[in-house]
This record gives sequence, structure tokens and C-alpha cells, in this order.
Amino acid sequence: MSKMASMFRPKRLDLSGFVNTRLIRDHNKRNAFEQTEPERQALRYMIRNTSLPQRVRAQAQLQLSQMHAYTRPTQIKNRCVASGTARAVFRDFRMNRFQFRMQALAGDLPGVKKASW
Amino acid sequence: MFSNPTRSLIGAGKRLRVPLSARWQSTPSTPNATSPETKTASPAESAPISDTQATPTTNPEQPAEQRVKEWSERLGALGDNARLPRSVQAVYMRPLRRKAEYGLPVCDLQLRSYSVENVEFFADFAIRAAYYLNLPVSGPVPLPRITERWTVPRSNFVHKKSQENFERITLRRLIQIKDGNPQAVQAWLAFLRKHAFYGVGMKANVWEHESLDVSKAMDQSASEVQKTLEPHLSQFGQRQDNSSGNNIFDTLDSDRFAERKTARA
Repeated sequence: MSKMASMFRPKRLDLSGFVNTRLIRDHNKRNAFEQTEPERQALRYMIRNTSLPQRVRAQAQLQLSQMHAYTRPTQIKNRCVASGTARAVFRDFRMNRFQFRMQALAGDLPGVKKASW
Repeated sequence: MFSNPTRSLIGAGKRLRVPLSARWQSTPSTPNATSPETKTASPAESAPISDTQATPTTNPEQPAEQRVKEWSERLGALGDNARLPRSVQAVYMRPLRRKAEYGLPVCDLQLRSYSVENVEFFADFAIRAAYYLNLPVSGPVPLPRITERWTVPRSNFVHKKSQENFERITLRRLIQIKDGNPQAVQAWLAFLRKHAFYGVGMKANVWEHESLDVSKAMDQSASEVQKTLEPHLSQFGQRQDNSSGNNIFDTLDSDRFAERKTARA
């Protein structure tokens, strides 16, 4: 039984700018997490609530573990918006270190200058 | 023996200047137009060297002085015939300020930018605007700069030893309004937002002050507030239709959860 990721895929591409398979996948994961967050939190609350019967808590645990992997927040990874790379992405610019350097040298990032001190 | 060729070179350089100066006197030429003048250099070589030493340094500057005057001169000349309107004259002076009577802070405006000119200009603008809105102002206070630095390898991981530093310095200015009318303060902020300057961010903290018998006024208005809140408070609590499925298993097996189950398969 394979868990389909297609259910989280929108009919039309809802991204613009640089687009990449992995970038789209990450975007879908973000959307999936956003949609199911209340459900996840409810289940998490039920699992941790010691006043609930043990059976309920176990069932909630099962439900939570059976939810799709895309609904997990740990699946989300910051990616470079200009190149799709997942490594060395600056949170400040949402950009890879290399893309950051190129754009900073080109003067596309406001206020960023070459530093020497 | 060896000094002769060097002297002749210097002489050639001096001779080359002659046609250039002649052109400048007649028409203000752009630096791009040097190529035709170098061609004309060869017939001018016959000109006496003694004349050329003095002329090129003095002549080209004279017409330039006549055309463009200094700002102070131009403003002074304006004043001879008719003076500027006071409001226009004030632009050239330091910004005027109102005196604070009590010194009670009402609004803190923080301006942020990456460039000094922008933030300085807009701070000046804000102070002038405050004067005309009758708001006493203190500032602009230069707050500590925020320096962010990033170090990035120039190329691949292998060449980690060669790195590059980048920085972004945020400049901040604080403008404080003292004991101004709250409505005037709002108008001032709205005016600044309307005429927001490029590359300058704004952040304002506004404080409102009440008289000492606030509690009395609040007690009086409590009944009115309760009336306005009634429709909202009536919605507060558990839903009526929620009582049917008390069992938690029902919620777990509800449509929403079942939907996920079927979708998963």
C-alpha cells in the first residue's frame, strides 16, 4: 500500500519564479501541513492527555502515525527560491549561499555590500 | 645624449594641448570628442611653444565660471530683487521646532534605511512636517546601527579557504513627539505614510494618556460596552448540535477522519 502524494498536488501549478520538482514537492508538503495542522494538534493533544482512557489515546496515536508523511512538519525543508538547492540556504534571503553571493555582487539585494573591516 | 629624446617627448605633449584649448574656448566639447582633435595636432605643431605653456591652464576655466555660479551666490542674487517666500526660504535653513510645554512623550517614530542620505532626508522632512502640524519634536536621535554580516565561500566546498564577506548596515533615527494632540499625531503619521520615501522604513509607537478618573469613565461606559458585546458573547460556549456525539470514538470515526482513511488507500 503506497501512500499517494498526488492528493496534495494542486491541479494547476501554484508557484512562479524558479520552479523545480523538488521545490514543488516541498511546496506541496507545506500546503499539506497547513491544511492538516488542527487535526494533528487535536490528535497530539489526545495522546498526551492522561485524563482520557488509555484506549482512546492509543487509537489517537495510531491515527496520527497513519497520517500522510506530507502532513508532518519535519518534512519541510527550506529551499533556495532562485535555484532550488536545499543546502546553505540563508533564512534572511531564502537563498543559497552561491545565489546570495551572485545577487549581492550584482547589487540586487538592497543594502548588502562587500564588507571589509 | 640621453636627455635629448626625453625633452622632445615633453615638447610634443605640450604641443598637443594647443588645439584642445582652442576648441574649448569656442564650444564646450564633451570628452568623447578627443579623436578628431588629435588628428589636427600635426599642423599645430608649428605654433610657438612659449605661448602654449601659459594659455591652456587659464583659458578653459574662465567661461566655466561665468556660466555656473555657486549656490550661495545664486540665492544672494535672488534676494537682491525679491526675497523668496518664507516657507521656501525655510527649506535652506535648519528645520523649525515647536517648544514642548510638558515634555510628555506621545509618539516614537523610528526610521530605518540602508543609506544615510535617505534616512537623513526623511527625518528632516518628518521634523518639518511636525512643525507645521504644531507638534513639538525632539530628535532625530541616531540609534545604534544594526550590522549584519555574512561570510560566503567564493566557490565550491573544496575552496573553503577563499571566502568573501558581505554586510548590511541598517541605520536608524528616532523622532519623538512630545505632548502633541493625538489627532494631530495621527495626521502626522498618515502624512508621512502618504509621502513615504523610497528605501526608508517606518515604525511608530503611540501612547495615549488619560485623566486620573479613568476608572469612573470606564464604569460609566461599562453598560454600553456590555450591550455591544452581547451578540458576540451569546455565541460563546459549546455548540448546541455538538451534544449528540459525546463519545470520542465517534469523532475519531467521523467523516473527516474517514476521508483521510479512504484517500490513503
